[in-house]
Amino acid sequence: MHALPPLPLPSSDVPVLPPWLARQKPAGSAAEAAFAAGAALQALDGLVRTAPAWAGAWRQRLALKSAAAAARRLGRPEGQSELRDATHLRLRGEALGPGGEICEAFARLARRPPGLDERELQEIVALLGLRWRTEFAALPGALAGLDKTSEPPPFAAAALAARVVAPEAEVLAFWLAELGLARALRWPFAVPLLTAQMLGPAFRPNETSRLRPGSPGFERALCGALVASVGPALSLAREIAAHAARLAAAAPKIRVRGAGEVIALLLNEDAVVGTLRTPTLTRWATRRLFQRLVEFGAVREFSGRAAFKLYGI
Amino acid sequence: MARRPKLPAELDVELANLPEDLRWRTFMGRIEAILFAAPAPVTREALARVIGRGCSLDALIADLRAELRGRPYDLVAVAGGLALRTKTTFAEAIRAATGQGDPRRDLSRAESLVLAAIAYYQPITRGELARFFGQEVSRDTIGHLRALAFIASGPRSPQPGAPYTYVTTKTFLAHFGFDTLRDLPDIEALEDAGLLNKDKLLAGDFPPSFMAEPEDGSLPDEGNDPREEPPRDDR
Repeated sequence: MHALPPLPLPSSDVPVLPPWLARQKPAGSAAEAAFAAGAALQALDGLVRTAPAWAGAWRQRLALKSAAAAARRLGRPEGQSELRDATHLRLRGEALGPGGEICEAFARLARRPPGLDERELQEIVALLGLRWRTEFAALPGALAGLDKTSEPPPFAAAALAARVVAPEAEVLAFWLAELGLARALRWPFAVPLLTAQMLGPAFRPNETSRLRPGSPGFERALCGALVASVGPALSLAREIAAHAARLAAAAPKIRVRGAGEVIALLLNEDAVVGTLRTPTLTRWATRRLFQRLVEFGAVREFSGRAAFKLYGI
Repeated sequence: MARRPKLPAELDVELANLPEDLRWRTFMGRIEAILFAAPAPVTREALARVIGRGCSLDALIADLRAELRGRPYDLVAVAGGLALRTKTTFAEAIRAATGQGDPRRDLSRAESLVLAAIAYYQPITRGELARFFGQEVSRDTIGHLRALAFIASGPRSPQPGAPYTYVTTKTFLAHFGFDTLRDLPDIEALEDAGLLNKDKLLAGDFPPSFMAEPEDGSLPDEGNDPREEPPRDDR
């Protein structure tokens, strides 16, 4: 029997953005942008370091958002729900397809400590459907070099992204920036924040142009993107924390053998298939378990379909 | 380091006793020999295993390519790996001497259309392909493409019956000489025209400029295969 997870951080303890940040003009000076980004990161820092039990689900949800933006940039038609389907409706050993592979690249980003070796980077480049380039080989070293940098983390992340010069590899630059940011902040895990904003207003100084890694003003835009994404990331954390608390409260009431395994998955993944089979649970047992968890308000169903349901907190 | 799998004991990877230039030439030789012998593109990771720890694979490859400049074949990146390929100017000579290459891989016109549709609109189910072409796509067609390892099963589609979707494989990329899916002919133009969206296309939501063309004229041909060019509109 799985031990029940420790009581998660209650949603009231999830930090909020300082109220003055909301009034911040998006097109402020570089100093204003950097100051705002610092305040936003400070709000997030405590949460990331506490690593509540539901942090895995939170990061994976953010990763899915990032993957959706990346897929759009790479010309894929899939949105968030299609990407979620591609990831979860695959039988073991079958191909993911191009959309699912982009999703996988960002899921990996959010799953592990911010380190990288060349082989892992090659896999990521392949998952993103990009061509390997000679200069990519220096990137893992540059990432590790951030341990010694005295630059502020957002600038260090921008500098790392700027090392990916190939314009078609912009998504990779953002993927690395996420990792670089976490590394420079000494976070135990990467939290995808920037990629989801890559097509957003933060990187669009005016209607016609978009700032890419390495272009002048990119650092400032990255600070703006951080401010724009930390607010929604914190409210997402509050939402997930509330579900996790209800899940923890419901856990003793559902006396199902093997439920602990499902709960652990729910706390660590973006979504779980409604027909999950584990050594102790048949797909029908899982289905009943999810039905009860929905009644307790502990999980929600994402797909809105009558079949092929996907549950998450 | 954990990422270097164990090698058979006899292969000396470092070649520490050789002078520097000879060592370099040996590594170049190894890489060319491996690519020459390999039936499929070889990953960079596999190649990195047979060269010394401090050597740059990219520098070795650059030197090899420089050396191959006058030769009838070249070292190219395909399907995420590296392979030796004859230069296209010699294609006719090869065909004249040996026939049309691998006869198993001869695709009928219908098969290449289906393959192109899968390549551009993956992941896509057989049912969706049928709606796309306005006629049933036979299991034999899919089966043949699968047997050639050009397509594989992807995630299941969330529809009644949970049909498999089809996606293209590395073999497909390697055979047609693409490194990534972004190398498919005209993919940017299709994207700009909003034609890469499967759902939109199946809903009959064609942009007006394409409505002028009869039938499924929006579907581009593989473009890479000179055998596949019978005159269009032969019906």
